[in-house]
Amino acid sequence: MKILAEQKSSNENRVILVKRTIPNSDLEREEYLFQELRELVKAAGYLPVGELKQTRYPDSKYQLGRGKIEELAELVRDTGADKVIFYNRLSTTQLFNISEVCKCQVIDKFQLILEIFAKRATTHRSKLQVELAKLRYEVPRARAVVSLLKKEERPGFMGLGDYEDSYEQDLKKRIVRIESELGSAEKDDESLRDLRHRRGFSLISLAGYTNAGKSTLFNAIVDESVETKDMLFTTLIPMTRALDLGGRKALLTDTVGFIEDLPHWLVDAFKSTLDEIFLSDLILLVVDVSEKPEMILQKLSTAHDTLWDRIQGVPIVTVFNKADLVDESELDGILEKIGYMAPNPVFISAKEGTGMAALKVEILKHLPPWCFCSLSLPNSEKGMSVLSWLYEEGVVHRVEFKERILVDYEARAEIINRAHALLEPQQQT
Amino acid sequence: MWDIIAVDISGRHRIKGGYYMVCAAAALTVSASYIEKVKQIKILPLWLKRAPSLLDIVQLIEDTADQLSFEGTIVAEKGDMYNKPSWMTESMFSRAFKYQESIAERRSIELVHHISLSARNLLINELQIEA
Repeated sequence: MKILAEQKSSNENRVILVKRTIPNSDLEREEYLFQELRELVKAAGYLPVGELKQTRYPDSKYQLGRGKIEELAELVRDTGADKVIFYNRLSTTQLFNISEVCKCQVIDKFQLILEIFAKRATTHRSKLQVELAKLRYEVPRARAVVSLLKKEERPGFMGLGDYEDSYEQDLKKRIVRIESELGSAEKDDESLRDLRHRRGFSLISLAGYTNAGKSTLFNAIVDESVETKDMLFTTLIPMTRALDLGGRKALLTDTVGFIEDLPHWLVDAFKSTLDEIFLSDLILLVVDVSEKPEMILQKLSTAHDTLWDRIQGVPIVTVFNKADLVDESELDGILEKIGYMAPNPVFISAKEGTGMAALKVEILKHLPPWCFCSLSLPNSEKGMSVLSWLYEEGVVHRVEFKERILVDYEARAEIINRAHALLEPQQQT
Repeated sequence: MWDIIAVDISGRHRIKGGYYMVCAAAALTVSASYIEKVKQIKILPLWLKRAPSLLDIVQLIEDTADQLSFEGTIVAEKGDMYNKPSWMTESMFSRAFKYQESIAERRSIELVHHISLSARNLLINELQIEA
């Protein structure tokens, strides 16, 4: 009985992967994209039992050719698969037609990504985000699916008469509710970011293609134990920790990875997560250097595409991770090939912890500059409290306790202005 | 540092009597994230009675880039080339061509976009073209 149950559970996860490629496309790249689909499927916990590829221009009814779809239906019957996963984006009609022929559930890459997100979402907010993304995906399909299913039941000639579309209305209402709830969460985030800025923290975020090793780097640099796996989308909820840069305090945030052609509605749904990246003072763009240069270029281009519109002016440090997997003599050659896409490159190995010092130096170089000043505080209780505040907000280089307290101090310009403002009335008395 | 020629075309929508387009090209030296040097800028207006085809666009970009006395890879937005795949557009130009990728290239495109847009606005005003 137990074996049967196990078989059933693995049977439930059986899937067939399908990809259509356009003629004349780069074979190696297409294979890589297919590999990415396999990785996604693995991350979603499915067991692939078959693969199907076709090279042709899209068919409006079935995406693949009619004959290939029949072949697919046969494959589904033979393998007993429960799901067919397409790499290409499917229209509602295509989804409907293919599932009619194959007699099983059909999803595309975007739905697969949503499934992964739904699986990983643990906080209330990330659950809302996933639901919002799902609903947005569903809305244009809801009306079409209902109309396709109920074509014959509809009143009027050819079913064009009035029919209540309450399903779509329900979805829209739910979207508005979630949006307003997420909106208020965003405001909380904004004020939190403001507070952190006021407290003298610089905000740094880790960005990069999925599975580049962002979380491993995060763990290595802040000495934390965030879950890391050789799997796509391990991190979904941003995680923030303090980072000590030789006296200067910064907050480092680990974020969700990018993926090629991530559609806009998905990016929008995770806006509050990505805001962590867009609104930081510095972005560490993590890249897996052990891959082929062409692949690195492609991934960098995807990252720049996602970032460019929103980060106006935020400096980027390109962190080449997994440098231990590459021969040292090759690093220069790689850099020459991809240098034009990689601002401020640093080579590290997060796993082995090498290159961390160089990375910290590079980070310090690009953070908003701190000002240096000499202050003179009254040697009183109030002066001492100002001094302890100064210690909290920046770096005190030298203190001399005489008639007055003389301090050589380095901090953000705002902090120094505030210190002056605090001291002025005292100096007048 | 790399030498590029950033190009952008404004006015690819129909106005009274046809299409009045202005192409701007700038010869630049860029690093990965910044424009390091602006060496020369040229603009070229073009009147077309019919909607511009891909070949018209290629010709316009080539003509504008030819006015520059510096060499470099032509960098343009994918949308300017009707979102055609890069292998196709690369083969249509007489010199090296690519779509924008790095931060600096995107900045450069932004720069030439402002140039072509304001040049077109100015020309439309001065020549009293009915938009």
